Amino acid sequence: MNITVNWGLLAPILAIQLILMVTALTSLYKADATRGPKWMWVLIIVFGQILGPIIYFVVGRNDRS
Amino acid sequence: MTLLKVDQLSKQFKQHQAVKKISFSIDEGRCVALLGPNGAGKTTTIHMLTGLLRPTSGDIQLYLQGKQVADRRPHLGYLPQMPVFYSWMTGREFVQYAGQLAGLSRQEAERRTEEWLEIVGIQDAAKRRIGGYSGGMKQRLGLAQALIHRPKLLILDEPVSALDPIGRRDVLRILEQIRQETTILFSTHILHDAEEICDDIILIEQGEIAVQGSLEHIRQSHSEPMIMIETLNEAQAKALEIAIRNKPYVHHVASEHQTLRVTVSQLEEAERGIMTEAVQHQIFIRKLEAGHSTLEDLFMKVVRA
Amino acid sequence: MRQFGLFYRKEMLEMARSYKWIWVPMVFLLLGVMQPVTTYYMPEILKHAGNMPAGTIITMPTPTAGEVLAQTLNQFGTIGVLVLVLSMMGIVSGERQSGVTSLIFTKPVSFIAYMTAKWASMLTLTAAAFACGYAGACYYTIQLIGSLDVGTVIQAGLMYMLWFVFVISVLLLISAWLPNSAGVAFTTMAFIMLLSFGTSLLSRYLSWSPSRLSTIASEILTKVETLSSVGPVLWISLCSILICVMLAVYRMQSQESISAKA
Repeated sequence: MNITVNWGLLAPILAIQLILMVTALTSLYKADATRGPKWMWVLIIVFGQILGPIIYFVVGRNDRS
Repeated sequence: MTLLKVDQLSKQFKQHQAVKKISFSIDEGRCVALLGPNGAGKTTTIHMLTGLLRPTSGDIQLYLQGKQVADRRPHLGYLPQMPVFYSWMTGREFVQYAGQLAGLSRQEAERRTEEWLEIVGIQDAAKRRIGGYSGGMKQRLGLAQALIHRPKLLILDEPVSALDPIGRRDVLRILEQIRQETTILFSTHILHDAEEICDDIILIEQGEIAVQGSLEHIRQSHSEPMIMIETLNEAQAKALEIAIRNKPYVHHVASEHQTLRVTVSQLEEAERGIMTEAVQHQIFIRKLEAGHSTLEDLFMKVVRA
Repeated sequence: MRQFGLFYRKEMLEMARSYKWIWVPMVFLLLGVMQPVTTYYMPEILKHAGNMPAGTIITMPTPTAGEVLAQTLNQFGTIGVLVLVLSMMGIVSGERQSGVTSLIFTKPVSFIAYMTAKWASMLTLTAAAFACGYAGACYYTIQLIGSLDVGTVIQAGLMYMLWFVFVISVLLLISAWLPNSAGVAFTTMAFIMLLSFGTSLLSRYLSWSPSRLSTIASEILTKVETLSSVGPVLWISLCSILICVMLAVYRMQSQESISAKA
């Protein structure tokens, strides 16, 4: 019962996800203010799979100040 | 020489007429205060002058060496009441950007940016993101971006109202410095700020000009004989006000707590009359001072009328 | 022209500092890569998924490389468009709402330069993101499914890109109209979805609709005989793009008050 996984194929996908996550976390770390508490965004970014970082970038960033 | 001429300028918002056919002109080299209480139409007027708002009717003309210019904007510098910048830019980047938008070459903008950052005193914060600036720093940055292209007319909307005393002092000092080169129009609701650095005053109330002219001239022509009376308490002041209000020698009475400020036609006659009234109504006068009305009195009279 | 360059560079810098240059292309890359990979593993996933009786044989027609790529374009057409709209919804309204426009528009700036620079910057980001996603999709499709014809791929890609250009032009126009970002995003998405839906429903009458561009791109890849002639669609799309941009400039210029707050 095991799917033969070709890691050579999946590694880039995981890498892209990682880049997205790290970018979102960097942005969050540098941001002066976000909509909602920062720890909440950390959870969303880390556990939200692909959607987490996207949601953060669209909704969480507060560019006005 | 006339720099700016405003003729019958009006602005109508749906139900409310914010500015009603005001006309004035500004001479080159003057510092003019647009004075009035909150909601008098100062910001609306300024928005029309800068081109941010389209007038309902009326005319605004800017003259350069006696010739009218088609587009005012290259010759105007503007600082809004609460300047907002791109929070992701640094202070230096924004001033440079503003300079280039105003038509300066890149090198020229860079050179002048350094000059102005130093004059307004934020060169130390120049490489930080504007998002982290305080209110006072934003005001200074706003001045730098308004002045970088050496405008003929600098327009400021309540430049010092939101600042703490030190910030206020600094901004007034910077204005003092630049008024040598630039004509300034600024709005304020604080008479004191206007008196401090201005040559001319345009006093507006409910969208209309109440008084305008040079500070000196207004001071003289609107100075009336005035008697300041301090009574024991508010009730007594009220009683005295009622007693003298309709006397022929009284022009206007303004009361504040136990103090009355009475503008009169003739000092001796009025003083005698008021004393008589006070004795008759058994009002105790703690202090009576005869003198002349100040700009403050004029301002209060216009605003409360 | 000088001001166009200035505005354009500012938009590029803003997109970089708000990380749009990273996350938007990455999302597209992910979208592009996922489709061929899931297609490739689908039989195995199905085999292990349900509790089917032993010996069940699942026969699925293996899609061709072109079909897989066409499915990827479908993904771009839904999630991709949504990501683009959401990432750029505030490009005009954000500035007007914050009030920074009152500093910009009291300088002698041209509205044409201001709006077209915004349009061009959106175009640049979109093209980069689409190129990333499309290239990733092609690479994985070739690795996993089968070979692709270069000419066809490029032709379909360009056709699809034009659809995206239409979408951002609509976005620009609506941005010039509505004061807040959420409204801009919602209205744009609603319009695009209605247009696509309407076109597929009434394909006989709306064979010239710009949303046919995405269908045509898929048809090129899957080598289906296209029912519409490409010419009118191209012309209508290009004209709509031009009209959207011109109307957006006109709208900005003719506003009574430039900053959203009166």
